[in-house]
Order: sequence, then structure tokens, then C-alpha cells
Amino acid sequence: MGIIKKLPVYLEKIPGGGIVTTSLDSIFSYSQASSLWYLLFGTACCAIELMATGASRYDFDRLGMIFRASPRQSDLIIAAGTITKKMGPRLRLLYDQMAEPRYVIAMGGCTVGGGPFYYDSYAVEKGIDHIVPVDVYIPGCPPRPESLLEGCLTLQKKVKTLKIQDWS
Amino acid sequence: MNREELAKYLLDKFSDKIEPLETGKAEPFFLLKKPEDLVEFCRTVRDDATLRMDFLCMMCGVDTGENFEVVYSLASIKNRLRFDFKFPLPYDKAEIDSVQEVWAGANWFERETWELYGINIRNHDSLKRFLLPDNWDQGFPMRKNWDAPDFKRMPEV
Amino acid sequence: MAELRTEEFVVNMGPHHPSTHGVCRFVLTMDGEKIIKAEPVIGYLHRALEKICENRTYSQCIPVLDRFEYCTSMSCNQVFSLAVEKLAGIQVPERAEYLRVIMLEFNRIASHLIWLGTTSLDLGALTPFLYAFREREMILDLFEMTCGQRLTYNYIRIGGVARDIPSQFVPMAKQFLATFDHKVDDYERVLTENPIFMARNQNIGVMSPELALAYGVSGPNLRGSGIKFDLRKDDPYSIYDRFKFNIPTGQNGDCYDRYMVRIREMRESAKIVRQALEQLPEGEISAKFSPITFKAPAGELYSRIENSRGEMGVYLQSRDKEKKPLRVKLRGSSYNHLQVMPELVRGHLIADVVAVMASMDIIMPDVDR
Repeated sequence: MGIIKKLPVYLEKIPGGGIVTTSLDSIFSYSQASSLWYLLFGTACCAIELMATGASRYDFDRLGMIFRASPRQSDLIIAAGTITKKMGPRLRLLYDQMAEPRYVIAMGGCTVGGGPFYYDSYAVEKGIDHIVPVDVYIPGCPPRPESLLEGCLTLQKKVKTLKIQDWS
Repeated sequence: MNREELAKYLLDKFSDKIEPLETGKAEPFFLLKKPEDLVEFCRTVRDDATLRMDFLCMMCGVDTGENFEVVYSLASIKNRLRFDFKFPLPYDKAEIDSVQEVWAGANWFERETWELYGINIRNHDSLKRFLLPDNWDQGFPMRKNWDAPDFKRMPEV
Repeated sequence: MAELRTEEFVVNMGPHHPSTHGVCRFVLTMDGEKIIKAEPVIGYLHRALEKICENRTYSQCIPVLDRFEYCTSMSCNQVFSLAVEKLAGIQVPERAEYLRVIMLEFNRIASHLIWLGTTSLDLGALTPFLYAFREREMILDLFEMTCGQRLTYNYIRIGGVARDIPSQFVPMAKQFLATFDHKVDDYERVLTENPIFMARNQNIGVMSPELALAYGVSGPNLRGSGIKFDLRKDDPYSIYDRFKFNIPTGQNGDCYDRYMVRIREMRESAKIVRQALEQLPEGEISAKFSPITFKAPAGELYSRIENSRGEMGVYLQSRDKEKKPLRVKLRGSSYNHLQVMPELVRGHLIADVVAVMASMDIIMPDVDR
């Protein structure tokens, strides 16, 4: 009954069980938030922390987050690591290949705003938010796995509030 | 062979080609007098039985503000030796020969030097962009006087 | 009967590919299923570290260099500190040298564990990945209690180390080392004799010693080809000449040999840490060094150390009484390892590109800088 407690539902008991009535929006967004499959998009240091988050101690899977190698199967890009000017168009391409609704997490200082490579670097994009729209920013260089988990929980909260007509 | 013996051996053998450099610390550091000698010098130190410099640690360009320099660091895995040499290049005649035929691994180092400094490499098999984006048109970014509209220098504090 | 027409075709692999360990792209020219030409395309992670270092003071360079090769940040710190120390003639205190060796070797184990995890993941085995990261987290705990970071440590500084180890460090490190050898046995039990793993690795990507030397291949990959060369023994820096350890080598130079070399190296590193913890003296942890007013004398040098992937070097050129270096050239070993890849994968299948790349332990920050 866990799921029913968290959703606005109307439960009508009938002999042998019950009928649950709820809005399409709530059931859709709830299921989506609970299984955000992310694209394995690691470019630099943050990718190691992303791997560590997926590995034994932090166990990303318990949030329903499983990595996918193909953008067509994923709901979320975790942009983990520096995006250079050469990589920028590829990130956009991958984002465009994903199906709606799609989300982006900017992980680490480089993706938030250039990070340690803001000054004196001729090759680094100063923030990915002028390439793709970003939903959650996670600062840190690199962010700890706990921060990443917190960022994902924040995204889940956001996803739960979205309605179907918001999908562009 | 220790450092002093190596330096002495090299200076005796190549007295017309190299001279010692005082700014070099740690390992023997030489100045190659004529850039034209480069390939021949490299081949000789690689094939010389006492030296056998079979390993190119790295090769890079330097912009000192007055001219270019090209630095080579060599090592011998067989005889456990190491030394470096360099030579200056004027801005208007920045061109060197490729040492690819001596050490195949020089290929990318030279390509990088060409791309970031604009030092032309003769006899190189693939001088194509590789570190910078394919549509890069802002010149040679590692030069000291290089600048671009979105390039920010760290402010002095 | 009409003659069959065949033609080559080109396959693009990367830059976003789950098993290229970063953002490397291969343009493969195929004849049926055989690769006849492979061309690595790099630069997707070129962050211009060398340019950045030219506008930083010597001590400001160290946190930048943490990002140069993030799997072994300690050795990036070490190689740069070593270069500046040689340049300016700074003597590092005894205790700092021991702390450096302990950290460097722990970092080597941590880096090899990443390699082990990702390699087995690439070849389709998920369990060793979880095993390897379990032990890696223990090492990261040690680092974290010492310098507060999990990945980019900024711990080894010019003249010594940033701070002393906390009191729980030595017992925890000993506890880790006590069980580590058994953990390596566990990894070996899963992989070493595994028929699938052997079939994917043996006689794949064979690198002859001559080829390795011509391309400047170093580290475990060079030793996998049978050349017994390790900078820790053959050009000792820091205090590596005080420890007893072996240098494992392979014979055939195939992926399997490189795997065995790295597995054995983890045990050797554990040996070094054990000895260093035994001998760890009391005393100062840093020489007198002011990061703000430090000005290097004029000079230039190339300093190199053995990190987990091979030879890591820094070429440093300085002007007299300048706070900033004139030129910092970073030499990462993967740069050369990726360069030799086309030779190794010629005639193999696409799936072998993944196996060869994994066994060479190529990561991209090292290549692109």
C-alpha cells in the first residue's frame, strides 16, 4: 500500500479487492521519478565518482537509477565531467537523441560554470547550460557521491510535480 | 655510466654538434647548435652501442617570448641513461624535421607542437588537427601573445 | 557467375562510448569483421592544462595538476613537486618522504582497482567491478581522513606534504593491508582462470618489445612485453631505493600478460606500504617553503616518476625570479599507449578494441590534458 499513501487516490473497496482511482499525471510522474535511467556520460574526474556511486558502497540502483549506454533508452543525462568545446556539440547531439521527457543533471564545477578551468583555458565550455537545459546543478570538484544522490533526489522531487502537458 | 660520464661521453663524441647548457638541472642538458643536425643526431644516439637512447620520453615546443624552442627528452631503457637537448627557433623560420623515423612515438608529440605552436614539421605523415576542435580558426593558442574574445586570464591578486 | 564485389567500410566508435574509458573516438576501417585500420581521434577532453599552468604560481599549479590524471592524483602532485624541488634545491624531510610513498602506493592500488573494475565490466563481468570498488572505498577513506578529498587530493605539496596523518590512519591502513592480499586472491579466483576471460585476452593485442619501445610505451604495458624496467628501481626518486619489492613482468605482451602484471603489482605495492608503515619516522612534514613568495631560479628540467600507468613526466622551464613557470609540459603515459593502439588492433575484431584498450589502462585526461 506504500504507493497509494503517496499519491492522491480514491480507493473503492469491492469484494475480492479494490479499485484505485487516481489522476494520470500523478501515476505517470510517480513511476517516472522512480525509474530514472541515466545515460552513461562520463567525461572526466566526476565519471569516477559516478562509477563509485553506482558501485558497492553507495548503490545507485536503490533509487531506481540504472545506467544505459544508449541515449534512446535513457531519461536523464548526468553530465559528469568537463565539457570541452570539441565535446559540446556531441553532448547536444546525445541530448537531442533522447526521448521526451528528458532531464539533465550538471555534475561538478566544470559543467556548472567552467570550474577550475574558467580562467586561462581556451578549450573548455564555461558551463553546459548554454548547450542543453539543466535541471539540477551539483557543485563540487568532484562532488561526493552523497551530493550526487541528493541531486538525484532533488530531481525526483521535481519530476513528481510535472504534468503531462508540461512535456514539450 | 653516471651523469658526469654520460655528459663527458656525449660532449666528446658530438663536440661539433652540441654544447652543454647551464640552465639545465638534474640531468645533462645540451644545446643542439644547428637544427639541421636533428635527425642525424637522434639516429646516432639511438644506434650508438654505448648509448642506445631507445626511448623518447617527450618532445615539446616552448614559446619563450623571444623565440621558439624545441625540447627533446631521451632515455635509454637498455642502459638506464637519460639526457635532454633543445634548440632555439626564430619566429619567422619555425620549421623542424620530423624524428618519426627514429622513434615512431614522436608522431603525436610533433603533431601537437604543430597544432598548438604553429611550428611546422617537415616529413610528417599526418599533420591534421587533433587536440583542438575541427573547426578551430583562432590560431595557435599556446603562443604567449595569443588571445581570443572569450579567453579570460586569471586576475592578479 | 558475377564476381562478388567487396569494399571496406568505416565504423565510428565514440567519442561517447561506454567502454572507451572517457571520451576517445576511434575511426575503424573494416574489411568484413576485421579491422584493417584504426585511427584514434582525441581532444574531446583537452582542457589546456599546460596553458593554465603558465599563468599560475608554482604552488597554484598543484591543484590544477590534480585534474591531469585523476585516477592517480597523488602522483601528479608528486611529479610536479619533485620537479620544483630539483629546480630550487629543496630538501624534503624524512617523514614527508615516507608519507608520500605511502600515499603514492595506496593511490597506485586504488588506480589499479579502477582498472580492474572497468576492465572486467568491459569484458562482461560485473562482479569484479563491485569487488574492486569495495576495496577502493577503503583506500579512499584513508585519503579522506588525511586530506579531506576522495579524488583530487592536493596533498603532496612542494617541500613536503600538506598535513600529517591522523592517529587512526596507521591502524586502519594496517587493517586494510592485512586483508588485501586475500581480496586480490578473490579477484583472481573470478578472472584469472576464467575461460571466457582468457579467450578474450590471450594472444589479443600482442605488443613486441621493439614496438613498445619505438612508441614510448612504459609502465605495466612495457613490463607486460617482457622488459623489466620500473623507474622506482631503475631511476629511483624519493626514497624508493629503501624498499624491497619485485617487478613483475610478462612474456608474450598480450592483454592477459598486462592483466597479470597489474594484478601482481597490486600485491607489490601493498608490500611497499607495509614496509613504509614499519619504518615511518617522526619529524617535520614539510621543508620551509612559502607558497606566496616562492620564486624559482632560472632552469629547466624534465622529471619523471612511475605512476600506475607508466612514466609520468613534467618538463618545467623557469625564468629567474619569476613566480610563474615559463612552460609546463605534461607527459602522460596513456598518450603513447593510445598511439600504439592502431598497431595492436590491426587484424582483430571490434570487440577486441575494447579488450586491448582496457588492458592498456588508457584514460583520456592523460592523453588530452
